[in-house]
Amino acid sequence: MDQGQKGNIPFDEDNYTHNIHKDNERSLDRRSFMKLMVGAAGVFAVSTLPWGAIAAKELAGFSNKKYTAAKITDVSDLKVGEAMEFAYPGKHDSALLIRLGEDEFKAYQNACTHLKCPVFWSKEQGEMVCPCHHGVFDPKTGAPTAGPPRRPLPEIILEREQGVILATGVKRYET
Amino acid sequence: MKRSYRGVLLLSFVLFLNIVCTQQTVNAYYYEKYETVLLFCVLNLILFPLAFWIYKRERDVK
Ligand code: FES
Repeated sequence: MDQGQKGNIPFDEDNYTHNIHKDNERSLDRRSFMKLMVGAAGVFAVSTLPWGAIAAKELAGFSNKKYTAAKITDVSDLKVGEAMEFAYPGKHDSALLIRLGEDEFKAYQNACTHLKCPVFWSKEQGEMVCPCHHGVFDPKTGAPTAGPPRRPLPEIILEREQGVILATGVKRYET
Repeated sequence: MKRSYRGVLLLSFVLFLNIVCTQQTVNAYYYEKYETVLLFCVLNLILFPLAFWIYKRERDVK
């Protein structure tokens, strides 16, 4: 050990790491870099597991996914061209009911399909607008018409019963 | 000294596929296409042994 260093001060490698003797500790060589890449592949694999698990669960219990009908509002409480927020199907799934015409109601889950900001109804523009990155959705279909979102808002199935608007389910995406 | 970068390049490609599969998994999930989710999930899982195999083959190449 000492022989190589005798009279050799400062050291050949005067880089503050000369005392590290472990193999490969000081250099990221190709082999360890490849090891790192394999590890990253492993992390990617593991990260998709939860999604796969939930998907498998949905597929297995597909048929028993039931929604309970819930009253949203009285028809008389919502003027034409106005909108109101409600929650459906869960307490924390915020949604937006819009009265487009005398008999035309539309409701969507209003978490933006880009990054989940709450979308609001802009009466002046006649569109649903996301404040975060100016995503715009068509109130008739829920389809994104501008901005970053690419996926339509999930539509809520409505029913009208004696002056009351009911939510009865959430539409699945077609195709 | 001439080195072989084949392993690194192949693994880069595997990681690229990993990114694609992960992205597609999440997308399909939000579109409620659960079969597609499973497909990409399995693909992503298969990529790991593949990466490991490439590593084992390439690590001793000078
Ligand atoms: S979160 Fe709505 S546009 Fe980005």
